[in-house]
Amino acid sequence: MKPQSQSSTPSYKISCRMSQEAAALERLCQVVRIRGFRIATMAVESAGEHLDITLTLEGTRPIAMLQSQLEKLHTVAEVALGQVSGVRVQTA
Amino acid sequence: MNGAQHILDAFHRHSISTVFGYPGGCIMPLYDALVDDVGVEHVLCRHEQACALAADGYARASGKLGVCIATSGPGATNLITGVANAHRDSIPMLVITGQVPSGLIGTDAFQETDVLGMTLGIVKHSYLVDDADSLPAIMEEAMELAQSGRPGPVWIDIPKDLLLADVSDARFPRSEPREISFPDLAEALTMLRAARKPILYSGGGISLAHAEDRFRTFAESAALPAVVTLKGIGNPGKHNPYNLGMLGMHGSRAANKAVDECDLLLVIGARLDDRATGSLDGFAPNAKMIHIDADAAEINKLRPTELAIRGDLNDILETLTNALQDKPLDIGDWQKQCRTWYTTGGFHAADNEEPLAPITGPAFVRQLSRIAPDDTVIACDVGQHQMWVAQHYDFDHPRHHLTSGGLGTMGFGLPAAIGAQFADRNSTVINVTGDGSFMMNAQELATIRRYNLPVKLIVMDNQCLGMVRQQQELFYGNRESQINLDDNPDFVAMARAFDIPALHISRTDQIRRGIETILAYNGPMLLHVAISREENVWPIVKPGASNREMIDETRRTSKKEHVA
Repeated sequence: MKPQSQSSTPSYKISCRMSQEAAALERLCQVVRIRGFRIATMAVESAGEHLDITLTLEGTRPIAMLQSQLEKLHTVAEVALGQVSGVRVQTA
Repeated sequence: MNGAQHILDAFHRHSISTVFGYPGGCIMPLYDALVDDVGVEHVLCRHEQACALAADGYARASGKLGVCIATSGPGATNLITGVANAHRDSIPMLVITGQVPSGLIGTDAFQETDVLGMTLGIVKHSYLVDDADSLPAIMEEAMELAQSGRPGPVWIDIPKDLLLADVSDARFPRSEPREISFPDLAEALTMLRAARKPILYSGGGISLAHAEDRFRTFAESAALPAVVTLKGIGNPGKHNPYNLGMLGMHGSRAANKAVDECDLLLVIGARLDDRATGSLDGFAPNAKMIHIDADAAEINKLRPTELAIRGDLNDILETLTNALQDKPLDIGDWQKQCRTWYTTGGFHAADNEEPLAPITGPAFVRQLSRIAPDDTVIACDVGQHQMWVAQHYDFDHPRHHLTSGGLGTMGFGLPAAIGAQFADRNSTVINVTGDGSFMMNAQELATIRRYNLPVKLIVMDNQCLGMVRQQQELFYGNRESQINLDDNPDFVAMARAFDIPALHISRTDQIRRGIETILAYNGPMLLHVAISREENVWPIVKPGASNREMIDETRRTSKKEHVA
């Protein structure tokens, strides 16, 4: 039987526009992971030479830190933060 | 012109005259083009890791772009440590690898690896070229990206067929110069004038921005007590009376004390690395912070800052200098207090006066600092010797101190010294290394011999992995584990096998003659320095602890001999 524990992890929505290139999504996901966030949902839409990506993320670190790291990526044109969706209670 | 020829053409146009590489199957078209090219000197190292680290050392010493080249598969994977090293220390580097032909990508072809995928986390940017006509624009963009803003490595992976394909004479877009509005420094000046105990905290960003001269002028005229990170050593210059030295895990008591007590931190070109700050909970607890950095992502990353400034560092420093010259800061008591701390808590290890005594690391480095010419470049490896150099060598310029700060790459020093010697054939370049680090890239003795580089090698040999042994002694109950290297080869004989003369010393009275002999020799030479196995680097802060909790020699748990 798995132990029951409760943890609360903030959840965020983030939208990102980036150039179409060979490793676009991997590049984005790699930064999200190494900076301490987990991807809960991901939607990708191709828009000409760009990709529009919407992510729902969970993580305890400041989301502004991730935003500034994503903005550093050369192929990322824009990063927009949605409203923090509040504290989600997660049961493991 | 094919893809390979275009790459060389781009090197010419950007005045890239030296590259470091190793040939192999998928990069052969580029090596074939090199046969006809007399304008680019290709340095053949003996391992791809050394190619990347030599390019790194070249970039650090010269301020120019470092370039390394390798083939696909193992050639590319061998580069990775060197590229990661450049990434962590923000070194401008262009990496070019051959890839299997386009049609074979994804088929598990011979020497195929997913280079683009496996290197995402260690590059500023990367490309897999999928069309020969895109190569010109990619080359231009890559070289610009590697050197602009916060510099870093940019990697171009090129399938072999595209190296051979014709590249049309496309007009590639020139990047527009970035316009940066000049920041308002009035608030920074107000904060500086309001502070009673300000500290100037600088790092590697000073030389990355080519702002060494302006920084020195600012530091001297502002007369701010100054601390430096490992990569900032040399920023204030050796004659600045307010330089308290390196802060952090192996920093001086004076530097850590001053940061602990200060009420304002003026952080320039530094990222508040954990080795510098210790536990952030106890770091400069009473201080406001002004953070000047090229990278917006560093602002508020680890500690909230009251004021962040981005812009051309040379302009910012000039403006601050002029403003403070017009009206100097009134911090006489604080300057005096910091000088007192420096007198009692700076790095002032006494020389050992007993001629037959064993050589100690600090005493050796202090002698080296006194004897070597002022513009000597010291390329360190990683470990105790690296910290002794950081503590006891008196650097007058940050580009004279090449050290692997972020990644801590054992094996960095020897190839970095090779790169530095190619950056300036007439400079004195010394690789100070340990017996552990030396063996990580010892094959590069062959490169030194091949090009007859007058690199001097100093191997401080304590027959063990000293930094690991020290931490096992202090923090793991003295339980030594896998640190013994007492079966090292005879380093003097080993150097001679590469046709490099070598000397061995072990006593204090041999230090001066040993150093003077290798410096006077017209060519490469190795000095093997036997030091005590039991010697530690003092002081030390336990990883994760506050810099207030410095441990010094009196806390030593070992029963063995103490050293000066």
